Amino acid sequence: MFGFLKRMSAPIVLGALILAALSSLVGGRSARDGENLPWIQGLLLDVTVPFQKALAVPGDLIAGAWDSYIDLVDLGSENSRLQAELTDLEQVNLHLREALVSSGHLDRIVEMRDKFEVPMLPAAVAGLDVSPFFRSILIDRGSQHGVRAGHPVINHEGVVGVVSRTSSHAAKVLLIFDRQSAADAVIQRSRTRGTVRGRGTSQPNFEYEARRGDVEVGDVVLTSGLGGVYPKGLKLGEVTEVADLGGSLMQSASVSPAVEFGRLEQVFVILRRGTGMELLYETGEFVDPGPSPRQGAEAGAGQPGEAGS
Amino acid sequence: MKTFLTLLLAGLCALMLEGVLARVFSPPWCPDLGFLVVVSIGLCLRDLIPGLFLAYLLGSSVDVLSGSLAGLQALLCVISFLSAFFAASQLNLKSTLSLMAFVASLSFVYGISLFVISSLFVENIDLSWRWVLENSLHAWINGLTVPFVVEGVERLVAWSGDDDSQERSLYIESPMRPL
Repeated sequence: MFGFLKRMSAPIVLGALILAALSSLVGGRSARDGENLPWIQGLLLDVTVPFQKALAVPGDLIAGAWDSYIDLVDLGSENSRLQAELTDLEQVNLHLREALVSSGHLDRIVEMRDKFEVPMLPAAVAGLDVSPFFRSILIDRGSQHGVRAGHPVINHEGVVGVVSRTSSHAAKVLLIFDRQSAADAVIQRSRTRGTVRGRGTSQPNFEYEARRGDVEVGDVVLTSGLGGVYPKGLKLGEVTEVADLGGSLMQSASVSPAVEFGRLEQVFVILRRGTGMELLYETGEFVDPGPSPRQGAEAGAGQPGEAGS
Repeated sequence: MKTFLTLLLAGLCALMLEGVLARVFSPPWCPDLGFLVVVSIGLCLRDLIPGLFLAYLLGSSVDVLSGSLAGLQALLCVISFLSAFFAASQLNLKSTLSLMAFVASLSFVYGISLFVISSLFVENIDLSWRWVLENSLHAWINGLTVPFVVEGVERLVAWSGDDDSQERSLYIESPMRPL
């Protein structure tokens, strides 16, 4: 009996490990398990983030020095151009303020903004996905800083992604062009609604209904706020190519993301889940969104500049 | 036990390094160091059971550090380890070229398997020619990198006291063998 077990130990171990992997694969799909990592996995994430930040220091220093040198080359002409742009923008700003004050809207907008202020947490990007098939990043803020799975992540350029898992001092963010990622979106010019879906490549797709669609190259794609994940009005990217799928009901267009992911260093975590994420990660009971601050967050983040500031 | 812990630590360090390298060499140009360490362990380590556990633990770590589905990379790392373990005893992988070709092929199959299994759980995953090309390119990058990783793992195994890599080649009895 002992000899038999000894002979069969390798197949038994192999079978047990494959079963364990398969059970993780199937069991890990539930939303509640996705909230926080188990302590041992969280520990790995917590150790990895400072380690990766330390490893990245020499590279960042070299890249920073090089960028500073390149920046110096055209500094004079760029300064003049920016000063001219600033003067123009100040004029435009003045006209807009006057128009708002004269119509009595400014006070109401200020009041709304104060009421619906969205709390945001700055975070540094520690490392990129270690698997080339998936697209995610690790950030140096975790559940101890108030970050939860389902919180949207943005930067000054636009939408970065959504927090998928957290440990106490780190979090994993699924980027918008990952295959598992999708965001309800709208074309700014024509208000055509659709879904921005990741393809695993650097350019996600904007999928929309052909009959009602009006999409052109150069159109700006914004979050619609209706998917329950991202607040309304955040920039997702610009349309670079519109595919002609013939008589298909659904059409698609390639979108160049607003965020330059290759140089992503600082991000902001919006410390409020959208209603969809709240329902997904709650205890399983139906949660009536009601007139809660979450609704306020969606309405208040209507201005992209405001949410990203 | 010393070998086990040394290789586990080396594998984890390789994963952390890969996360930083990916910032400089974006996919598919960045070699998959985690996968390469697992394959190298399969090629260098003689004991099957500790190797299986190592492959599982490193694969699970990849699952934690990447956006992958939980358990997916652990499963594929165990299978990759087994492929490398048996290939080392059945194929002649002594030459660098054959080693590179073997690992490139295994890496390509690994990518396809990731795609196929992910498509069972995530809707709307398209198989595009662009992705197939990127996967092929990534496989060759892995193939080009593997001799260095194998060399490193061999040295670690030797350092930790379990150097049996020379005993993995097929031993053919011959009456002409000198005494």
